[in-house]
Amino acid sequence: MRAAQTGEFALTEMHSALVALKYRVYPDEYILTQIFTVTDLNERIKDRLENDPRLHDLWARGEISNYVNHRSGHRYFTLKDRDSQISCVLFKNSGARLAFELKDGQNVLVYGDVAVYRPQGRVQLMARGIRLDEGLGFRHLQLEAVKKKLAGEGLFGLERKRELPKYPERIGIVTSPQGAALRDVLRIIGAYPARIILSPAQVQGDGAEESIALAIRALRGRADVVIVCRGGGSTEDLWCFNSEIVARAIFECDSPVISAVGHETDVTIADFVADVRAPTPTAAAEMAVPDIDALQTYLVQAQVRMARALWSGLERKRERLDYLERSFSAQKMYALASEMRQRLDWLSERLGDAQKEKLTESWRRLELAQGRLAAVGPRATLLRGYAIARSPRGLVLNAEDVRPGEVVEVILAKGRILAKVLECNSDAEDSR
Amino acid sequence: MSEKEMGLEEALDDLERIVEELEDGKKSLEESLDLYEKGTKLVRLCQARLESAEQRIESLTGELPPNLD
Repeated sequence: MRAAQTGEFALTEMHSALVALKYRVYPDEYILTQIFTVTDLNERIKDRLENDPRLHDLWARGEISNYVNHRSGHRYFTLKDRDSQISCVLFKNSGARLAFELKDGQNVLVYGDVAVYRPQGRVQLMARGIRLDEGLGFRHLQLEAVKKKLAGEGLFGLERKRELPKYPERIGIVTSPQGAALRDVLRIIGAYPARIILSPAQVQGDGAEESIALAIRALRGRADVVIVCRGGGSTEDLWCFNSEIVARAIFECDSPVISAVGHETDVTIADFVADVRAPTPTAAAEMAVPDIDALQTYLVQAQVRMARALWSGLERKRERLDYLERSFSAQKMYALASEMRQRLDWLSERLGDAQKEKLTESWRRLELAQGRLAAVGPRATLLRGYAIARSPRGLVLNAEDVRPGEVVEVILAKGRILAKVLECNSDAEDSR
Repeated sequence: MSEKEMGLEEALDDLERIVEELEDGKKSLEESLDLYEKGTKLVRLCQARLESAEQRIESLTGELPPNLD
């Protein structure tokens, strides 16, 4: 790249220069001295600008936007700063020497000449070379130094990363109350039942670092998990999350911290210190709370599993007479069964179709189990030839429950009889 | 700890233990019924928790986001 450098222009300055030029060419628009065709006019502007040595071999500093890598091999983009912008083109042969790939948002120094694209009367900068702007270089060096220092102190140690609580009851959020990040987080937390404690912070500009650190400290003892987040922005906007005091505040936080700064590709020191790094605020919220639908489904399944376990327990006991002793329990079971059916109806109304399908199987099993329950009820058992013996003291389950000569009541499938005990023999084989 | 104070996590842990105990099938019928009833209460408790959820936001500085839905 040639060293002939006529001075570094800020874009705004360059524009002012162009504007000044124009007025010098056409000092008085009201005096009709010559009528141009548009083509002639643009031709004249082109001549004028392109012959001005001050608009050649210049450096311009700005940020790339609207970058297009055309299939012709030419690259087009807009170079802009805070107040102004200019079209730029980098032709294929110049672009071939580029040491890096251009992308939107990059801060660059463009070397080249001002030119006019006549068909559109557009002033543009024909780039002959592009360098990454070194303006950020010093800060990046600083960043590396801070990173090294904190790593040396063990702030990034994996062994100190804490697990996130499964069901947090208090969720602390450090961010700007006005930001889109907060809206995203609140939307995802949605109906999950937790207290949300917002600790407002200024997340960019002067004083942001102190503000964020303070907001994190303010949550001490008040949250089960803390989300430190901010929406996307320029590297400068996100820079406060690279600061040492924010890193230390996260490190000292008494609950696990999820960091979510900018977009997926933005990684800051805060992300290294946090217990978990989320690519975006939305993702952070998803990590902080369980999936409420999955939880609902789990509850329904727990109910079904309990019912199933109960029924199969009953099935195992179906031939046991001692079940009759608990005829009260059998009634309770009937009541529970019908209650459970209603409950399943109620629950299934609230479930999505996919979940309903899962439930159908459980339903069938419950119905089956209910049929079996009916089969082991006292009446069904009596019909199979069993009988219930009762003394004034209650059910007769063992020979010791009665004494010879005593009268017992024997309940049959149909009717009952009174009988006198002749003999009590505990040694008889258990026929149950 | 009363049920009201019981956290979601604790309730879900208890529930899981009860379901497993029931499925284990080693309890007597009475105990199983008790477990079943306890478990059902926990399911209801959790469901009530999940449904009671109106988002509650507090701000440490009093500054809240504009236009909360």
